[in-house]
Amino acid sequence: MNSENILLKAEGIDKHFGITHAVDHVSLNISRGEIRALIGENGSGKSTFCQMLCGIYKKDSGTFTLDGQVMNVKNQVEANNMGVSIIVQEMGTLSGLSVAENIFLGHENPFMHRGIKNTRAMIHEAQRLLDEYGFKNIRAGSMIDNYKFEDRKLVEIVKATYMKPKILIVDETTTALSQHGRRELYNIMNAVRDDGRSVIFISHDLGEVLEHCDTISILRDGEYIDTVNASDVNEDDLKRLMVGRDIGSAYYRTDYGREISSEVVMSVRDVSVPGQIENISFDLHRGEILGFGGLSECGMHEVGKAVFGASWDRKGNVTLSYGVEINSIPQAIYHSVAYASKDRDNESIILNESIRNNIVLPSLNNLANKHILSRRKLNRFAKEFADKMQTKMQGIHQFVSDLSGGNKQKVVLARWLGKGSDILVLDSPTRGIDIKVKQAIYALMSELIAQGKSIIMISEEIPELLGMSDRILIMKDGKINGEFMRSESLNEEDLIAKMV
Amino acid sequence: MQNFKNSKLFGFMILAVMVLFFYALFKFLTPTNFGSPANLYSYFQSSIIYSVGGCGLYFIVVMGLFDFAVGANIVLSSIVGVILSEKFGYIGFIVGCLGCGTLIGLLIGFLYNQLNVPSMIVTVGLMLVFESLAVFVAGGVKQTLDPSLRFFSGAPGNIILAFLAFALMWFILNYTKIGTYCNAIGSNEFIAKNMGIDVKKYKLIGFMLLHFFVGIMAVLTVSYGTTMTALTGMSTMSRNFQPLMGTFFGVAFRKYGNPISAIVIGEFIIAIIFNGFVALGAPTTIQNVVTGVALLLIVTLTARGKRGSVVK
Repeated sequence: MNSENILLKAEGIDKHFGITHAVDHVSLNISRGEIRALIGENGSGKSTFCQMLCGIYKKDSGTFTLDGQVMNVKNQVEANNMGVSIIVQEMGTLSGLSVAENIFLGHENPFMHRGIKNTRAMIHEAQRLLDEYGFKNIRAGSMIDNYKFEDRKLVEIVKATYMKPKILIVDETTTALSQHGRRELYNIMNAVRDDGRSVIFISHDLGEVLEHCDTISILRDGEYIDTVNASDVNEDDLKRLMVGRDIGSAYYRTDYGREISSEVVMSVRDVSVPGQIENISFDLHRGEILGFGGLSECGMHEVGKAVFGASWDRKGNVTLSYGVEINSIPQAIYHSVAYASKDRDNESIILNESIRNNIVLPSLNNLANKHILSRRKLNRFAKEFADKMQTKMQGIHQFVSDLSGGNKQKVVLARWLGKGSDILVLDSPTRGIDIKVKQAIYALMSELIAQGKSIIMISEEIPELLGMSDRILIMKDGKINGEFMRSESLNEEDLIAKMV
Repeated sequence: MQNFKNSKLFGFMILAVMVLFFYALFKFLTPTNFGSPANLYSYFQSSIIYSVGGCGLYFIVVMGLFDFAVGANIVLSSIVGVILSEKFGYIGFIVGCLGCGTLIGLLIGFLYNQLNVPSMIVTVGLMLVFESLAVFVAGGVKQTLDPSLRFFSGAPGNIILAFLAFALMWFILNYTKIGTYCNAIGSNEFIAKNMGIDVKKYKLIGFMLLHFFVGIMAVLTVSYGTTMTALTGMSTMSRNFQPLMGTFFGVAFRKYGNPISAIVIGEFIIAIIFNGFVALGAPTTIQNVVTGVALLLIVTLTARGKRGSVVK
């Protein structure tokens, strides 16, 4: 790499969280005018590396040099001022502020004159930017709270890019966007590259990485592994580099033609949620993985909530094999129904609690002896199921907030394994999760159905649906639009035809 | 339609409908004793005193903080203002109230930042200190404002001062970084820090602004009542809640973008309800019960989260 062409030089970047060595002396260079993917398993250190670059975390040692200038930033605004900005995976806008205030938060000075803010000019400039980006439906003067998650992500994109950063970091953002939003983001990334600036792109979607990036750097367990040209590798090469071994054929289920039990464990009849789903009816059989697919807003995610009793305005019936109706979450849990939400951090896990307390939560009644809980018993229980899920942790008392996405999902699954749930509703079980954990989750699902448990798997990933489901229901506009049985001949086009 | 439902006008219309509803209700129940133009003017004058405190409290409540020392500061600042007015007239009175109020805010904010304990605990502790300090400053004597210094006791003085305070609040919220940063800190302190916002500094500013407004409230309170007596044993606690009710309205109507008018009209609604019960001859306990229930109902109807959402 020509040294004059190097825009960012990272040398010996190192970071510990307690005893975890999150980033281990990583050195890499990024050239001007390239889109560099940063890939690796959950917990490989890619987000931590980027968050140190933009001042969210303080590095233990090492040096970032941007355009010949050493960076020692303490927060995002300082990083922005030096030319680095980031679009984060989760919500990055602030409620209670207007769209314009969000866009210019921390950068109000151009609109300040002797301590007085020119609000009108700020709104005007924000609206000009939104219009320029093609997001004309978003009004700069409106409160950000009036907009949905995706529109707020678009506001974040404007916020991160309007100042023309030298380095734009896109951290697992595309999963939150629709096809239109993704296209806009890719266009922006291309524009940054064409302008001689650079993008660091973090994604678990290897197809997306290969399609939109020029070069790919791989991290594993906090260590830098290699940088390759996207044109020289395929998905299998990348998987091998990420995991350190060939993960090959055991990824999805390989069994076809398996007989599904005729025993119905859950019967769903005419279930509707106003504005979301309409007259949904299906049966779930013992030992079956029933896949639900469709476009993001088709209503499939609401089906998961509805059968778990988590939709407040649900109509229709959800009945278990022995006649019990599920109308609330406590009822569902009591009758051995489990649910893992797509929105893991907000709906599935208690971030500011320990792994132990997250795992034992629904099982406390079973673990209590005349309402008295034994700490030893709780610890043993939590450790047993955390270990069973091979959770990468310092111990069961570690806070869940310190874990990577994949390990958080393992905690969610450990919780329901511990509870011994017979019916598992898994919404996007591998969202934002690396291939190694994915493989473990798929193996677990196969093991569970072999034990006679039943799974409803809601997924936006068609290969996952095809690879794991015994039966697939495709939804469109809140209704079931097609049903497919597991078959080797079934392909993506068949499913897509029913989705759109 | 969705845009209109999120507009300032819509928020204002909800408030106006509530005013009309409660006015009509009490006018119907007690047509002779309640609701003449002169009465309404009187309710309004009493409510704006609390509205000023409500504006101050907004700065910290929106950041997720709380302050139990507001009542104690009203008493202490009033006493300091009255004592200084004896020597320096209006200047001593105003500077005494506002200066003492702001200094108290500075002290609370400083200790909150240094001790790193919840604001409720810090302010309860300091409330006891300020109550005792007020007794010490007043020398155990009731402090009376000189009759020649009572411009703010009624219209137009009280209305002018209160509206200057509202204008200041509007200016701070819309034309300085403080309003934006207070909202940002309340929304997500971690992100706010990452945006380079000096969270401790803005919390300190929040407490100072609150107690500056409490200082203005002290001017209006002691002018209206003409005397102030220092009390101990948490007796000042009850003075916290009336302004806080207005703040609740402000926070509830923040989504419509008009917290100040919500605070002012909210306090007016509370005053209508309170005076309506007085006109009906209801005992004070009943008045308090119904005022509290009315507040809960109003905030529930206007600001409650969606069904199934998490409310803390």
